[in-house]
Amino acid sequence: MHMVRLWAQYLPQMLKGVGITLELTGASLGVAIIFGFILAIARLSKIRLMEIIARWYIEIVRAIPVLVILFIAYYSLGQIGIKLSGMTAAIVSLGAFYATQFGEIFRGAILGVDRGQKEAAAALGMPGGLMMRKVILPQAFFSILPPATNQLSNLIKDTSLVFTIGVADLMFQAYAAASTTFLPLDMLTLAGIIYFVFYIIISKFLARWELNVQQRRS
Amino acid sequence: MSNNVVVRAENLSKRFGDQIVFEHVSLEVHKSEVVAIIGPSGAGKSTLIRCINVLHPFNEGTLQLLGHTLTGGSALPPKPVLNDIRTRVGMVFQTFNLFPHLTVLNNIILAPMEVKKISRKEAVERALKLLDMVGLGHKADMFPKRLSGGEQQRVAICRALAMEPEIMLFDEPTSMLDPELVGEVLAAIQRLAREGMTMILVTHEMMFAKEVADTVVIMADHTIVEKGSAQKVLETPQTERSRVFLRRVLNPGTTALDFEPMVGQGGDH
Ligand SMILES: Nc1ncnc2c1ncn2[C@@H]1O[C@H](COP(=O)(O)OP(=O)(O)O)[C@@H](O)[C@H]1O
Ligand SMILES: [Mg+2]
Repeated sequence: MHMVRLWAQYLPQMLKGVGITLELTGASLGVAIIFGFILAIARLSKIRLMEIIARWYIEIVRAIPVLVILFIAYYSLGQIGIKLSGMTAAIVSLGAFYATQFGEIFRGAILGVDRGQKEAAAALGMPGGLMMRKVILPQAFFSILPPATNQLSNLIKDTSLVFTIGVADLMFQAYAAASTTFLPLDMLTLAGIIYFVFYIIISKFLARWELNVQQRRS
Repeated sequence: MSNNVVVRAENLSKRFGDQIVFEHVSLEVHKSEVVAIIGPSGAGKSTLIRCINVLHPFNEGTLQLLGHTLTGGSALPPKPVLNDIRTRVGMVFQTFNLFPHLTVLNNIILAPMEVKKISRKEAVERALKLLDMVGLGHKADMFPKRLSGGEQQRVAICRALAMEPEIMLFDEPTSMLDPELVGEVLAAIQRLAREGMTMILVTHEMMFAKEVADTVVIMADHTIVEKGSAQKVLETPQTERSRVFLRRVLNPGTTALDFEPMVGQGGDH
């Protein structure tokens, strides 16, 4: 009973953190998807230099812990005169890291589309861009959803790292509440529950979306 | 190029890496002519018609079609030439290759609208007319998965025809079909032939070839081993290689040896 009353008391503060966490997730996801798509196209490009740059970027960046990238963006870049706010550094870091994950997912899905589809589109005189938009990507989309859902839930969890650079997200608020109440168990459990609820909502929503489209096509 | 020659291949050679697919292939196709290409599996029949639709480049020789002259090399011709040829040459594949995420109607109108910039209204009108012609008007709003193999292949024919091609290429259009579905697809092709469409058709259906083709070409051992009127080639072949092939195909009992293996049943997946 005591715990529930305490949760109710700190919930408004936590929800402020939730807002920041959501904003951060949305913005980093946007960056990761757009930049990831560019990486995928570059890796599939016939222009060798683009392919090489994209491949190396992916190999290197995905090997670095997100926390290290975050500290580089926030502290190290400051040292060479590029001063980013906490929120910007967080979006850039998470976006840069998750672009490598989404990039490889996109590339795999594009390559996974049956070769006959590309030939059929080519035989109808469709130029490359049109073929990509109308034939390849809509089909690649289905193999993208499950692994992308996975990475999205990783991304949500990794947003909790940003409290280390002072961004007032959910984790930051839970930590602050834990410090003032001296009840870290209660406050961090609440944070854990809220992260879990996010995960459930998002994965259920995406699974239903996938099912809907699949049913519509048969 | 004389007025009514629409395709002229001279001494075409095609390799994949070191592997020779075909060499010294020469072939002329006249307007409204139906050419059937037959021959054992692996002879290069599919690759040859893919070269004619410039899905593959070829290594040597020249290919004149639709006012373009292509010469052998490792690269495809420039994009405007490529797309012009592909737009004006229709192709039907062994495995149908309909777009699974689009309805039958949208499969057919996609390229006319996006490539030829025809209005949606006109594209739909034309698509429905084509579908009616092959008896599938009532399936316009279905997704390909719901159709039988024979129906899918007839839709694929409509999709190619919707671009109003000047030449149609068919790559074993019935070899993935259950036997009872072959007839409906052949009927659609025969109807096109009667309407004067220029066609190159790779097939294993000997009786059909004899019936609809003006010219029969036998490909074997990486080249064309026989070429002439359908009746002459099928009844009095001139080369030993053709005789061996035709004996195997026309003689029941051993027929199957020369066919490509049936990989599953194309009809229902
Ligand atoms: N894209 C390709 N890459 C490499 N080899 C190929 C390719 N397409 C076909 N081949 C090879 O070319 C030969 C001829 O194939 P194909 O034209 O399909 O013959 P057919 O249609 O007469 O059965 C075969 O040995 C086949 O393995
Ligand atoms: Mg073949």
